[in-house]
Amino acid sequence: MHPQIAAFARLAGENTPPVRVLEGQKTLISRTMHGFAYDAIHDEIVVTSPLAQAILTFRGGANGEEPPIRVIQGPHTQIQGDYPGTGANDRVSVDPVNGEYYMFSTPNTILVFDRAANGDVAPKRALGGPDTLISGRSASAVDPTRDLLMVNSSNRMLIFDRTANGNVKPKAIIQGPKSGMSTIESFQVYPPKGLIIAAAQGGYIGAWSIEDKGDAPPKTRIPVKQLTGYDPLGIAIDPVHKEIMFSAAANERTVRPPSGIMNTVITFSWPEIF
Amino acid sequence: MRIVRHGNLLAGAALLVLVFFSLSTAPRLWRGSARLISIEQMPDVGDACYRPSHADLNPSAAPEESLFSAFEPASVHAQDSGGTVDVTRAPVRHIVDTAPIYSSVGVDTQRDEVYLQDSNMWSIRVFSRLDNAKPGEPPTEPRRVIRGPKTGLQFNSCVWVDPAAGDIYSVENDTGDIIVVYPREATGDAAPKRSLKVTHRAYAIATDEDTKELFLSVQFPPQIAIYSKTASGNDRPLRLIQGPNTRLADSHGIAIDSKNRLLFVNNWGNISDLKVAGTGRFEPPSISVYPLNADGDTPPLRVIQGPKTQLDWPGSMSIDPGTGDLYVANDVGQSILVFHNGDRGDVAPSRVIKGPNTRLTYPVGVFVDSKNKEVWASNMGNSTATVYPLMANGDVPPLRTIRSAEENKESLRFGKTTALVYDSKREEILVPN
Repeated sequence: MHPQIAAFARLAGENTPPVRVLEGQKTLISRTMHGFAYDAIHDEIVVTSPLAQAILTFRGGANGEEPPIRVIQGPHTQIQGDYPGTGANDRVSVDPVNGEYYMFSTPNTILVFDRAANGDVAPKRALGGPDTLISGRSASAVDPTRDLLMVNSSNRMLIFDRTANGNVKPKAIIQGPKSGMSTIESFQVYPPKGLIIAAAQGGYIGAWSIEDKGDAPPKTRIPVKQLTGYDPLGIAIDPVHKEIMFSAAANERTVRPPSGIMNTVITFSWPEIF
Repeated sequence: MRIVRHGNLLAGAALLVLVFFSLSTAPRLWRGSARLISIEQMPDVGDACYRPSHADLNPSAAPEESLFSAFEPASVHAQDSGGTVDVTRAPVRHIVDTAPIYSSVGVDTQRDEVYLQDSNMWSIRVFSRLDNAKPGEPPTEPRRVIRGPKTGLQFNSCVWVDPAAGDIYSVENDTGDIIVVYPREATGDAAPKRSLKVTHRAYAIATDEDTKELFLSVQFPPQIAIYSKTASGNDRPLRLIQGPNTRLADSHGIAIDSKNRLLFVNNWGNISDLKVAGTGRFEPPSISVYPLNADGDTPPLRVIQGPKTQLDWPGSMSIDPGTGDLYVANDVGQSILVFHNGDRGDVAPSRVIKGPNTRLTYPVGVFVDSKNKEVWASNMGNSTATVYPLMANGDVPPLRTIRSAEENKESLRFGKTTALVYDSKREEILVPN
């Protein structure tokens, strides 16, 4: 209805207006922004424009009806989607250290672009195929210190070499009933502690070790649905203040929060994982 | 939420005691015999609704220096051979908008009632057409509210009242993919009298009373689906307007000119062929006009498009049946644009309602009340609906205002908060709709 990107102060609470909002025709943003990124090294916001098969990059401080500074779009990009339900083309993550964007695209493929790419450019790598086990809505994140790529797909965390390309098997997989690994729109890795912070089944946010494999339970978890009434959809972390935050929106089939308010962003203190 | 104010030692101490007993009930996390070793004033965290957390009480302290060292917290990384450590403390903050966020307005001119679609609390709020919350007065009380799990309301983007039958139609935009229809007297947790499953990303409806057809705009893949007005369940469309020749592109508002047998559709310009990689492109926003009986990949009769149009994320549209004028809720343009019925190309609107006196704030809904010679706007930006003389032009104040929050309320304009990121440089949380 109104696909803004609103920026709130970290300490914002109930009814606190955003400090700035990116919105309007010139921004080229559209609905279905299910996963995006902030590149802290280059101070840039990276988001997909799913209906137009594009990746948009904005200044970190972009505000109002400000156009993107770079647009990846065109026949060489191989970007495809968004077909309703596939989640393709609706999420992107950034590896700021190695200067790369990771975008989930149809068919079940992670396309990797150079950060500085602009216009109709081909991806540097394309990770996809039956051996990868990438299937359905798939978010990604990179641990640049261990040179690993994590892909959250079909209740699995698939762990690849960062530069994996083509139809390759994951190096490790975290999945199974004890792991509780779920699927979420976006998740985080925290390299200093070697943690993957993602969604666990039953309305939890869990922290697994990057070294985990198989049916490994999370080291620790927060039962956010039990505590707040909301299921997490996206996760962000603030290591400086030792906090995690998640976004949530109601879904009649699964989540109808007792508060009766259908959209929220909730912050937890979680010093143990930082 | 518990309120902790700077300097309020008593409240702070009470809350610490509460935290103490709360934590003592989590033996998996905190082992040993708890001892209260001190009571201290709460830190000033600059947020009246803030709850204290372990980290904020002493985020960098060594365990032996912390109030919570009495609980001997276990290291989460010492649990590799054991189970998972559950952390059950309360959240420290939450960003929510506690007021309705209005995505659409409809008017029952027979019964003098205004219907406002609220996508924040999944409700339809019904007001008297003559309600007017003046400055300094409390928010407007609705006559009734349709809300609850039986209603099927979700992230709805359109409400329309059938002037003849009084039936209330509402279109779901994201998680439900459904049109629900209520009887005029519906209130509370009312089940719809019928519902119709529709394509994902449906946005708005208009009806042709001559043929008893219901026209539905779908954002993407863009199409206009035409149903029987009484369609229900899994009934299929009678026909579809879709395809590259239609120039539909992220379609939103829709309006019907019954007199001239025309269909108007506005487009944001985001377009691709989802079956073909790399076909995405951006086009300027537009209003495309079709014959009302169009079917299939029909090109528009004409298109309004270009910088003079001022179109900027156009929302819903409505037609004055007397003049044929087309009214457009121009969301980010903070305006209502009025075009002549026969306009085409890069044409300026004949009238623009815009300016600080109008109190238009992100208007996404518009409705022409030709009976009372008024035009209504629903404002996503401040939980209001405002009404103007039908021939208004420029920076005109509203005749009346329905307001569902305190004065000067600034809405968070949440649509559906799926994602977020943290901007560590500015210490900001970025949240898209």
